[in-house]
Amino acid sequence: MQTFRVEGRLLRILFYAIISGMLFGLFFALMSLGLNLLFGVMRMVNLAHGDFVMVGAFIAYVAYTHGILSPWLGLALVIVILGGLGFVLYFPIGPRLTGSYDPEMLSLILFFGVSQILEALAVMVFGNNPVAVGYHVLTVKPVNLLGQAYQPSWILAAGVSVIVILAVYGYLYHTRLGYATRAIMGDREESESTGINVHRVSAIVFALGLVTAGLAGVLSPLVIGSIYPTMGLGLTITAFAVVIIGSLGNPLGSILGGLIYGISLMLMETYLSTWSTMVPYVLLLLILLLRPTGLLGKGVRRA
Amino acid sequence: MPKIARSLWMNGFIGVVLLVVFGVAPGFYANTSILFQMMMYIVLAQGVNVLYGFTGYLPFGYVGFFGAGAYGASLAIQMGHLPGSVAMGVGAMVSVVLGLVLLPLLRLAGAYFAIGSMAAAEIVYYVVSNPALDKVTNGPYGIQLVQSYHPVESYAFMVGALGLVTLGVMILRHSRIGMALLALREDSVSAAMIGINVVTARAGVWLASALVAGLAGAIFAWHTSVFYPTTVFDLNISVFAIVFTLFGGAGTVLGPTVGVVVLFGLYNVIGISSPQYFQLLFGVLIVTLVLFLPNGVVSLLRRRGWDVP
Amino acid sequence: MSHKLLEVTQVVKVFGGFRALDGVTVQVDAGEILGIVGPNGSGKTTLINVISGLYRPDRGTVHYQGRDVTGWNPTRLARRGINRTFQLPKPFKSLTVEQNVDLAAHYGKKGRPGIADPLEFAGLSNIRQQSASQLTTAQQKALDLARALATAPDLLLVDELAAGLNPVELDALAQKLLFLAHQGMGLIVIEHLLGFVNQLTQRVVVMNAGREIFEGTLTQAAENPEVVAVYMGE
Repeated sequence: MQTFRVEGRLLRILFYAIISGMLFGLFFALMSLGLNLLFGVMRMVNLAHGDFVMVGAFIAYVAYTHGILSPWLGLALVIVILGGLGFVLYFPIGPRLTGSYDPEMLSLILFFGVSQILEALAVMVFGNNPVAVGYHVLTVKPVNLLGQAYQPSWILAAGVSVIVILAVYGYLYHTRLGYATRAIMGDREESESTGINVHRVSAIVFALGLVTAGLAGVLSPLVIGSIYPTMGLGLTITAFAVVIIGSLGNPLGSILGGLIYGISLMLMETYLSTWSTMVPYVLLLLILLLRPTGLLGKGVRRA
Repeated sequence: MPKIARSLWMNGFIGVVLLVVFGVAPGFYANTSILFQMMMYIVLAQGVNVLYGFTGYLPFGYVGFFGAGAYGASLAIQMGHLPGSVAMGVGAMVSVVLGLVLLPLLRLAGAYFAIGSMAAAEIVYYVVSNPALDKVTNGPYGIQLVQSYHPVESYAFMVGALGLVTLGVMILRHSRIGMALLALREDSVSAAMIGINVVTARAGVWLASALVAGLAGAIFAWHTSVFYPTTVFDLNISVFAIVFTLFGGAGTVLGPTVGVVVLFGLYNVIGISSPQYFQLLFGVLIVTLVLFLPNGVVSLLRRRGWDVP
Repeated sequence: MSHKLLEVTQVVKVFGGFRALDGVTVQVDAGEILGIVGPNGSGKTTLINVISGLYRPDRGTVHYQGRDVTGWNPTRLARRGINRTFQLPKPFKSLTVEQNVDLAAHYGKKGRPGIADPLEFAGLSNIRQQSASQLTTAQQKALDLARALATAPDLLLVDELAAGLNPVELDALAQKLLFLAHQGMGLIVIEHLLGFVNQLTQRVVVMNAGREIFEGTLTQAAENPEVVAVYMGE
């Protein structure tokens, strides 16, 4: 790849890396959105985030093994199953954590436990080996744009991600519950005293966080290939990178973070492929140390 | 003061019991590999204990130091042709150097530190295992230390490390430095105001815990003699050390020891043959712990008014 | 020539556009008590935070024992002999009362003599072994004072130590602070209770909106139109 000397060719490769990076990045924006919501609203660090993505992926896999070759049913199932699960799970966990002496640390550890449980259950049910979800769109011919071929599966995943992200924004900025949610993000105690039912709103956000993770899971075979029960941890770390690049606790940041992550990953894969696996970690560490509050952040971190 | 003296005695007792048990056990119990790993995890758990219990930093990337120690010692043996015993010191020092490089992490708090340290460990792993470095580290293909293989001597070294680390935590727990660290953990402003140097104190603990993990990694490399980067940079090593510590109770000498003996024992009973069942149990245990017993099982004793060493 | 113990010169501290301190100059001599009064938000505590090293001033200097200590961190200042109490006392709750003081003496004292038994002095000698998590608010304040004294300060900054005390306790506290000054310590006392300040010193600075609007005795202050306006307007 690096031996081409024609400048036009080089430019087109650069262009390809940027466009595919954006498609990739939009998917990762969705993938990490829930992590950000949970931290912003509840100061919860969901270390099981990637495992909920994995759960979504296996829900799609079950649908696929029953002969459904498009992701739509999987998406619908995830909304029902993870939405319900999230809403119910919040009540034994959430109030206890947010009322504890150190919600951040304790939730980190607690969700680590949840991640172990989900991983173990998935291995018991689906075994240890990677499985493929052969959506129909994966066999469609690549789309040509300015002489470069793009995978339709990526375009579909990016498209659905944008729709879901927009829906979450619609909720946050154009519904009454969304106003309440943002009020809680601003100041939890204050909003409690103004009569907002903090726990009900939190439960909804918790459910929303799991649902968006699960939806990304359904889409994941389109972007990252085969799925396996232990895929969660890597995704969690990537999601953290995306979220921290954007800024933890600020949902808007997820999109920016996703795009930066996607584009830098694709550029690395194009030009320095042996080191590209390090991208999320290096980005994460750099942003943490240079700008601990993220690119859009404002004083999230306590001294 | 008599109260402190008594629990100091208790601590000494724990240390002696540990040394005797692990020193004599190979004579009665053939599976030294389990004994060795149990000691290794006690050492690692005490390292986490010092860092988390006394400063509040939760190091998800603790394994980075372990791996750095393993590779540092291995390269000292392979390329420097040093004897195993000397290479152990090199491994520990490599880990301390990594700790120095990572000092800026201490600016981060809470979850940011936990995640940041994990990212740092992953970066070290990707550098060490990168095919581009196969001339130095042999990339993803790992290390073979045939020439220095010495299971008995390396076992003895781990017993020694166990003794040293337990002694260190004992001293820390009953010294003014330990008290100063607890004060610092609780309220860094007030601690600074009474003359405790916040930066030095935190950095000191960080480097000490790096040294401990590096030493454990170095001895592990020596003892195992054949390993891959995925073995010594396995995030599960951090995770085990952290969960064992939290299960027993951070900030005590007894807690991490109890945590390792119980949980790692359990792991060896059911975890080897069917790891997913152990993992499930592990997960349920952690969730239960956070929700109902956030200070570990030794806090049950404390609630009954016992003075837990 | 001899120096004042503390010379704060034209100190400015801005928080995001808000000038919490707007060019404050105060001086304290060894053995002297300076009272600082003023409405809430007038910058009293900010001034103490600057002197004790919690905040770095944006402009101006702090000289202590003739040395420029502007921007030094609290640890360094504590070891040099500047210490303070907090408006909201913050004892280390994981330690005992005695350990709190012992730590301060060990890390902060650095060879200065100080008073022999700070816990005795603060009236806590009967609860030395008690955990600091079990103290009443008044006891916490006393421990805060004892801990600061354990570092053997030459300059002590006292931030609203008297709030919530009954008249007998107030009188006892005033006697203690006067005793410390008599021993040669310099003190800055921030207080809302004017009667209490009057008992301690004739030298009072009145602050308002980050500025010093008056310096003199309290009696004179009561006749100063600007001071009266500030207090009436409150």
